[in-house]
Amino acid sequence: MSMFQIQGGFAGLAASTRVRLARNIKGYPYRGLNADQYQQIANKVWDALQTAPAIASAFTMRQVHPNSSDGAALVEQHLISPALAQSGGWLIASKNGGVAIMIGEEDHIRLQVIGSGLCPKECLTEAKRLAALIESQVPMDFDETLGYLTACPSNLGTGLRASIMLHLPVLGKAGRIQDVISAAGRQGFTVRGAYGEGSQAVGGFYQLSNQVTLGISEDAIIEKLVSLATNVIENEKRLREQLRSQDENALADQICRAAGTLQTARLMETSEAINCLSHVLVGLSMGYLQGVSPEEVCAMEQRIHPALLGGAPAARDKKRAELLRNMAKNLIISETSL
Amino acid sequence: MLCQNCGKHQATAWYKETVNGQTRELHLCPECAAKLGGAYASNLFSADPFFSPFFSDGLFSGAAQAISGGRRCPTCGMTESELRRTGRAGCGDCYQHFKDILLPYIKKLHGAAAHVGAAPAPAADAPAANPLEGLKAKLSDCVKSENYEEAARLRDEIRRLEGNQS
Repeated sequence: MSMFQIQGGFAGLAASTRVRLARNIKGYPYRGLNADQYQQIANKVWDALQTAPAIASAFTMRQVHPNSSDGAALVEQHLISPALAQSGGWLIASKNGGVAIMIGEEDHIRLQVIGSGLCPKECLTEAKRLAALIESQVPMDFDETLGYLTACPSNLGTGLRASIMLHLPVLGKAGRIQDVISAAGRQGFTVRGAYGEGSQAVGGFYQLSNQVTLGISEDAIIEKLVSLATNVIENEKRLREQLRSQDENALADQICRAAGTLQTARLMETSEAINCLSHVLVGLSMGYLQGVSPEEVCAMEQRIHPALLGGAPAARDKKRAELLRNMAKNLIISETSL
Repeated sequence: MLCQNCGKHQATAWYKETVNGQTRELHLCPECAAKLGGAYASNLFSADPFFSPFFSDGLFSGAAQAISGGRRCPTCGMTESELRRTGRAGCGDCYQHFKDILLPYIKKLHGAAAHVGAAPAPAADAPAANPLEGLKAKLSDCVKSENYEEAARLRDEIRRLEGNQS
């Protein structure tokens, strides 16, 4: 595993983890900054990283132009937020994409660490290490009572937003997501469909993240998040087994059809691709399919979004289908599915 | 329509939110809109949960209109009505200047108003605290830019530190 490439457990059920720290540099306002000031801030962060050459060598700095296609692709790679793509700013990112430091978002600095699987503890450790490095060189707005000061009061205190992308297709189909939402809400967490509108989450991907950032330590937020996520994952696993015992043929049929579609399709839209990948992930974790790791499937799920592929819609659908065929050719249908 | 909270005054603010799949609507008078704003607006998040606004524009535009004039942050110039409308601080000092407005919302939003997490690390704890790494990088830069005088000084400093470590 290379530097800034964090991998956690529950691959396939927890697709990815994201931890973000919000920081503001002392002496700069939070709004109305001009391009020069954003560049100054980006340079300060960049210079701070240079004091640890071993770390700095893993990073590159680039400008993000407002409303650019480059920015849209960075959003799909989860390296910058839609707001930064719109307003423009700077991105200091590790070369493998595990760490992204956004400059020019609502807060001066948004330091984000992404890992695959369930790994919020590891992501937080990395984020804290980098934040400490930057803070050792650049003083931040910090108040003894309110903690790290942020443009929006919803991020005050730790400035930490930790999130896990959960793959819960069976809970979703069984109409049990509301239970998950309620349980999360009681503990200061929120659940959203990762793709699609309203409560209909395409492919059963949901994001679980903390809402409360003040009055609770970073470690306590992460502990609660892990506990909630593992609990939800156990429920999803239980329901999958129930489904297997109730109608295994129908389940295996859906999974094998999805695998077949990915192996043979010549044109594929994003939502169909996400749905097929979702079935394949279930197939891999339940032993109906093998030959490809859940991590590979989750990574592919990140690569098939429109702006990342570029080009006209028909060309994108063709390119997407090619990428998926290339991955799916290694899928093997297990004997248990036959 | 009468205010759904107090039932006494005419409702002028309409507020709608959809959070975690649940939609709720409220018709409020300006006073109740200002009073209840934080409780409902606290759940308002944009499409991306990582970068979420705090207040509802709709709700607070009603409240903001009820406020004439308003204070101004001496550091960044943010006005009270702007703060209420956007739900964003204009600078770190806004939290002091508008403490009376922000603190109740912060308490409603987080259920607490005291930070218990990490504080900025003193320089000595940071990874950059290893001065050798920084000095070696500077030495390399000095050699590249042919600043040999400074390079010699840095070389001696590095030797001294390495001597201390061994």
